[in-house]
Amino acid sequence: MKSLLLLLLFSVSSLWAAIDTIAVDVGISVYKTMPIGVIPFTESGIDDSKIQEKPHETVSRDFSLSGRFDVVPSPRFDLVKFSRARAKFYVTGKLENTASGKWKLSCFLYASQTKALVLGESYTVDASNVRAAVHLFTDKVIHELWGVRGVASTELAWVSKIGGVKQIVAADYDGFNRKQLTSDSTISMMPVWGLGNRDIIYVSFRNGRGQLFRKNLLTRKDTRLFPAFPQTFSPVVNPVSGELLFSSITDGKADLFIGNMDTGKAKRVSFIRASQTSPAWSPRASEILFTSDRGGSPQVFVMGKDGSDVRRLTFMGRYNEQAAWSPDGDRIAYTSMDNGKMNIYTCAIDGSDIVQLTSGAGNNERPTWSPDGMLIAFASDRSGSYQIYIMRKDGSNVTRITNGGENTSPSWSWYPEDTNHTTSKESTK
Amino acid sequence: MKTLSLLFTAALAAAMLFACSNKKQDPVTDPAANTPPPAAQAAPATTDDDAAKQDSIEAARLEAQRARAEALMNQLMSDDIYFDFDRSELTEKAKEVLAEVGDILNKEPRFVVTVEGHTDERGTEDYNMTLGANRATKVKDYLVAYGIAADRLQTVSYGEENPKAAGHTEADYKENRRANFKVHIK
Repeated sequence: MKSLLLLLLFSVSSLWAAIDTIAVDVGISVYKTMPIGVIPFTESGIDDSKIQEKPHETVSRDFSLSGRFDVVPSPRFDLVKFSRARAKFYVTGKLENTASGKWKLSCFLYASQTKALVLGESYTVDASNVRAAVHLFTDKVIHELWGVRGVASTELAWVSKIGGVKQIVAADYDGFNRKQLTSDSTISMMPVWGLGNRDIIYVSFRNGRGQLFRKNLLTRKDTRLFPAFPQTFSPVVNPVSGELLFSSITDGKADLFIGNMDTGKAKRVSFIRASQTSPAWSPRASEILFTSDRGGSPQVFVMGKDGSDVRRLTFMGRYNEQAAWSPDGDRIAYTSMDNGKMNIYTCAIDGSDIVQLTSGAGNNERPTWSPDGMLIAFASDRSGSYQIYIMRKDGSNVTRITNGGENTSPSWSWYPEDTNHTTSKESTK
Repeated sequence: MKTLSLLFTAALAAAMLFACSNKKQDPVTDPAANTPPPAAQAAPATTDDDAAKQDSIEAARLEAQRARAEALMNQLMSDDIYFDFDRSELTEKAKEVLAEVGDILNKEPRFVVTVEGHTDERGTEDYNMTLGANRATKVKDYLVAYGIAADRLQTVSYGEENPKAAGHTEADYKENRRANFKVHIK
């Protein structure tokens, strides 16, 4: 009966929950951005009530969030405007109904001066997948103009308080298409993505203990991980092997373990008398960041993946925690508490060159890097309640992506694996 | 406090006797004890499964009794142990409360205890998990030193996840920096 009820709850709440609006704080960035024109897409035979958002709005937000572009909006092609704003390129397209009932989305990147086509893509999609198709096109544009892979098709998972209980949710990286992944009566927390974005590893108190679980995102099946350990938390996935690094508490002391999620075997990798928690991998999984209170207050340390060669990284302030290594390998983001307020900092990998990214705006914590290393998502209560924000890695361009309720503990997904997605497309380049 | 706890112990003993001698349900004690009265009781006892019915009645009665005893015991041990900010050492006040808890547990050997450790909301979730674990363990260690068998005491940390007071003032934080007890019959 109980399981039936849970099943029922689950099926109701796993419906796609729509959000939300966006608040932007455009700070001054040291990173160079590229102006780019965006013109509304033409439409033919489109039922407006079925469309989540106009394609030019989605692509504009993608460009802004990417940290790489300044959008120059224009209702139509306007060479004077684009030239003044130094927008060498512009994007537009069209959205048409087709005989099959699906929609055809065509997206074009043009050179402003010559109106020459630089990149063209078309996608045949259901109404609900227009945004996903626009995200794919955004990343094509970023690859074309920046030579790198964008993150418009990535996702975020986080913890959302729903009906007074902390549940795990996941959404597109811009906060849209949120789906609820857990529907328990007990706390769920600390979600991270398994390799290939196939599952979410998280902590659940459903057995009264606080233990790691893995939820397969296709089957929605839950597996309890490392059941031999009484209390486990702070999971983080090895970016190369997929193994799980986590904290486990025995006799009041937290230690770090690396384990295979399929076999359940785990070995200890920290050998210090104090507690260690909040582990994080270096991009190639050769080193581990972690927090230890061996000096009486939490500080960030780094060591080899076998627990050797421990060095202290943070020396400024009493409370440094939640370190996260950038995918480029050059910076480390972390949460620091001063006078009871938490803020996000980055430093070089030897602990030097400390930069404070947030200040004077409530608490800011749990930094998580975008896979391209350009952005950091974090949780902040600057609006009065905890919400998820994205900023550039220099602290500029802070954008809120959640609205209402209480949202914490963001975790950025990996790059999606190259698949054909749910869209069929043809390149017209 | 001492006399109060003795009073509670007496009440507990009385309730157990009462539960043994009387099938009447007491709705006030605990909702879990409110199992519906077995319909079988009213039916004429003539068939083969009569014995099974009697068994299930007996099981329901025992379960209700057990739930009631647990509820009473949890009420008896509802005093929380409080801690200073970012500390897990036991204060003198905490030790006084723990001595009473130790006395109760010594008198009631059937009960096992889960010590739950908590922190206030300041600081990170991860570090607060270790802080909550530290606090629960300090409480457990004290009780073991007091003579309670270690295998009767489990610890779990909730970190900052389970605040008692929902606000964000120093008074709320003080309420939330605590360890509390969940008691079960072995």
